[in-house]
Amino acid sequence: MPRRRRKVRRGDLVLYAAASVLSLLFISPFIISIANSFKTDAQATSDPLSLIPSPVTFAAYEQILGSWFPQALTNSVIITIVVTLSRAFINALAGYALSRLDFPGRRIVFASIIGVLAVPGVVLLIPRFLVVHQLGIYNTYAGLIIPLLCDAAGIFIMKNYFDSIPVSIEEAARIDGAGVFRTFWSIVLPMALPVVVTVLILSFQGSWNELSHFIVAAQDPDLSPLTKAVASLTAGAGGKENRFPLKLAAAAMMTLPVAILFFIFQRRIVKSESGAIKE
Amino acid sequence: MRRTTRFAMAAVAGLSTVSLLAACAGGGTADNADAGGSLQVLFGTSGEAETAALEAAAEAWSEESGIEVTVTPATDLAQELAQGFATGEPADIFYVSPEQITALVDAGNLYPYADELESADDFYPELREAYTKDGVFYAAPKDVGALALAINLDLWEAAGLTDADIPTTWDELSTVAAKLSTNGVSGLTLSPDLARVGPFMLQAGGWVFNDAQTEATADSTANVDALEYVQGLLNDGSATLTTDLGVGWSGEAFGKQASAMVIEGPWLEGAMAADYPEVDYRVVELPAGPDGAASMFFTNAWGIAAESKNTDAAVDFVEFLTTPEQQMEFARAFGPIPARISAADAYRSEFPDTVAYLDGIEGSKTYPTIAGFSEVMADMNAQLFELKTADIPSLLGSVQKNLEALTK
Amino acid sequence: MRSIATAPRRRRRSREARGRALAGLLFVAPAVIILGVFLFLPILTAGWVSVSDWNGKGSPLQPGVEFVGTANYASFLTEEGLAQKDFGTSIRNNLYYVLVSVPLVTAIALALALMVNKSRRGNGVFRTAFYFPSVTSSVALTVIFLFLFNSTGVVNEILSLINVEGPTWMADPRGIFHLALEGLGIPKPAPGAGFEFWGVSWWDWLSGPSVAMTVFILMAALAASGTFMLIFLAGLQQISDEIEEAAIIDGTTRWQRFRYVTLPMLRPTLFTVLTLCMIGSWQVFDQIYTGSQGNPAKTTLTPAYLSYEWSFKSSDWGQGAAVSFILFAIILLFTLLQRWGLRERTSDRSGRLRAARTQKGDPSEDH
Repeated sequence: MPRRRRKVRRGDLVLYAAASVLSLLFISPFIISIANSFKTDAQATSDPLSLIPSPVTFAAYEQILGSWFPQALTNSVIITIVVTLSRAFINALAGYALSRLDFPGRRIVFASIIGVLAVPGVVLLIPRFLVVHQLGIYNTYAGLIIPLLCDAAGIFIMKNYFDSIPVSIEEAARIDGAGVFRTFWSIVLPMALPVVVTVLILSFQGSWNELSHFIVAAQDPDLSPLTKAVASLTAGAGGKENRFPLKLAAAAMMTLPVAILFFIFQRRIVKSESGAIKE
Repeated sequence: MRRTTRFAMAAVAGLSTVSLLAACAGGGTADNADAGGSLQVLFGTSGEAETAALEAAAEAWSEESGIEVTVTPATDLAQELAQGFATGEPADIFYVSPEQITALVDAGNLYPYADELESADDFYPELREAYTKDGVFYAAPKDVGALALAINLDLWEAAGLTDADIPTTWDELSTVAAKLSTNGVSGLTLSPDLARVGPFMLQAGGWVFNDAQTEATADSTANVDALEYVQGLLNDGSATLTTDLGVGWSGEAFGKQASAMVIEGPWLEGAMAADYPEVDYRVVELPAGPDGAASMFFTNAWGIAAESKNTDAAVDFVEFLTTPEQQMEFARAFGPIPARISAADAYRSEFPDTVAYLDGIEGSKTYPTIAGFSEVMADMNAQLFELKTADIPSLLGSVQKNLEALTK
Repeated sequence: MRSIATAPRRRRRSREARGRALAGLLFVAPAVIILGVFLFLPILTAGWVSVSDWNGKGSPLQPGVEFVGTANYASFLTEEGLAQKDFGTSIRNNLYYVLVSVPLVTAIALALALMVNKSRRGNGVFRTAFYFPSVTSSVALTVIFLFLFNSTGVVNEILSLINVEGPTWMADPRGIFHLALEGLGIPKPAPGAGFEFWGVSWWDWLSGPSVAMTVFILMAALAASGTFMLIFLAGLQQISDEIEEAAIIDGTTRWQRFRYVTLPMLRPTLFTVLTLCMIGSWQVFDQIYTGSQGNPAKTTLTPAYLSYEWSFKSSDWGQGAAVSFILFAIILLFTLLQRWGLRERTSDRSGRLRAARTQKGDPSEDH
């Protein structure tokens, strides 16, 4: 017994070391980028590796904060909050129905969702724009938000998860006379917390990072979320300048809110995930 | 459990926000200021300086004319334009380059106005031709820039060369390139694409098409001579392709002083000033070939949408934007070289260091405007990666085959 | 699967079944409406465009836009020429991207998930670190990667510290299989000889991903593995500790437990991850669009980007839509293949457990 325990502990140590090295590898691109965003253009080009800028310059940040950034950040925050929460809810509803509720057309709906998943997003750019325009929501928040309110991938994940949890508990509730929505709401959803969290996170990530839809759904620069604003900065057609500090500062600034959010919610995400099933 | 409820409440709150948003979408923020009195300008910007300069110009003209102008830098100009045409509400004025002309004209999207401009004859004839299709001059050129030879002065002097050695012929170019190729420095660096071997083709008297673009001429002996000359430089070790030098474009090799000479356009200036301020260099016209001096030039113009509801005002604004004074304003703000002949003297005296980009335009060409050319060029450029070892006649033969498919 | 279990009960209580059917319809309604209006309707429109001669002016549904049959599809599938060569090249590029990045990303994601699965000190931090690149927008990430893999950038600076001269990365079109063959001293065969398919010679079909494409593959490994790690974590939590503990008491090694307990039970999750990853990889667009535009030498051209280029740059809307439907067909085909490859031999959970046990008894049975 004691022998095995020591062995396990050594194994843990190896895992620990490996995880540390890997974490560093995953984070290092961001650290290097942030360091370079404080350099002058010439220094970022000639000495990209050094982590200490000399001289330190805030020029890139001044340029970004002084112009488009505040508005783009506001847009991104509004869109992301609305989309993330409603996506998780709508996806869960649909995933549950597809997994548990036998309604006419269920197979067709599920097959279509898988089909939709496979359609390359690019092909939809113009037709989707035509629909948005036809509905009179082009160049509005509604046009930016509504089409993103649910996604096939999230429904797919939800359905797969519901498929894998046993029906017995729900059935007990049903025998007690609970309605479908109440069963879903107060029994199934809490059991599915890990996957709800997963879908919340995926939705957050999906809406924060969305680019092509934002490009087609609005033209007004005041409605540009961060992705579009930064993309237009880097896709600047004319210049051949590297402008690394400016681009990297923009990348850092658009990543910062995510980083802060993660720092705050990290514990909660981890806890809710590991604790959900055992309760 | 409590946590779940909180999630759920937030979700419900989110949903109600959405319905609210949807409800006010109808009368929402869509900009529909009276179409009669306003203009929309859509352009691809190279940065803050260009955007600011255009905004200033729009403001100045608005004050004068009383017509409101909205200037919008596009995230993706081609895509946003396409969207405008699909809804029948395109931007009134937009940047357009010669290779777009054919597709735009064929779809009936361009308003032909440039012939009527008072200043129509004051644009360089090469530029007029670039924006002319079937005898109609469609768009007023905004700027121009020809390829020129940039020379690193420190390396030049170190190789014992003087002003008298500045190459004016292919032979002289070979000589100085060989002399400059020492200590791991590349004498001349080229990126493997048509926009760098093209000038040599023109200097040899060749080109990929005849002037009317009715006949493909890629496999002409002049073109073979030109590519074999460049291939010779590569094999002598006096020239290097960017791909072999480990740089993304030749300006990078030039900035790192890994190359003594490069063939680049006006965009080199901004990059050198920003990223490699310590390099001392000068820019001269390209040397002449067996058939004389020639280069390739690149340009943009002001396109006006055929479906614009305000074409008169749009033409007025473009006229304002293309006056020599305004073009010089732009040159000062972000560097584009005026497309007006009458602005040349002002440009020469104010920017003596960069006149080579302007002088090179005489006898030069830009990309052909025939539909489908950019695909053929992309394929040709892919083949030029192996220029060093390629069999030139068969390389040009395959280009010829693809070009012939376009003229059918 | 579930419907089988509920079937007898349904017959017994048809009124409840009707109520549940109604609830089902109400539950999917929001999703169906949104997906219908903003995905399905556009897909139908795009389908029409792919068989029409729409030139991008006005609506594709207006009179005057003609039906042209399969002409747009034929223009690159059967007609020899540049379009076909571009199409063939894009398929080759994306195929290699999928074949390399999907197993790579899945393996990394699974390894990360196993590494941080247990509630151990510090695992929260590790999870956040691994997941962080995934929440970063692909725009920001592409900006960062273009900087890191610049020919004189960070990565090459690091390589030069160990005396390795790095390639030009984003400017290097050479296929890595070709480079490997070159390294083994096998010369390139004479051009123009031999078999050709979709305008691409057999030699070029065997190129492997180009050096530039491997940068995108590395980017996928960094950017996507965190997301899939989360999905694996959710799946891992369903494997009860009792089973794991029972296996520990049985004296199994870590590897045996992974191979015969964890992995079989993770199969549904694995299917989800592989499917999502494969679909995403076939649709790779954002990175190409911001990072390389298909360059160098067309070796990062993908069907999705080709569709964009044909539509927006060349105004060949029909051809652009057609290529994306071909891509759609490819993705469906791959999904079915994957489903078939990962099909379950036993239908319910206990059966799966039993299968896991039998396999434990007979390690030679490799499936």
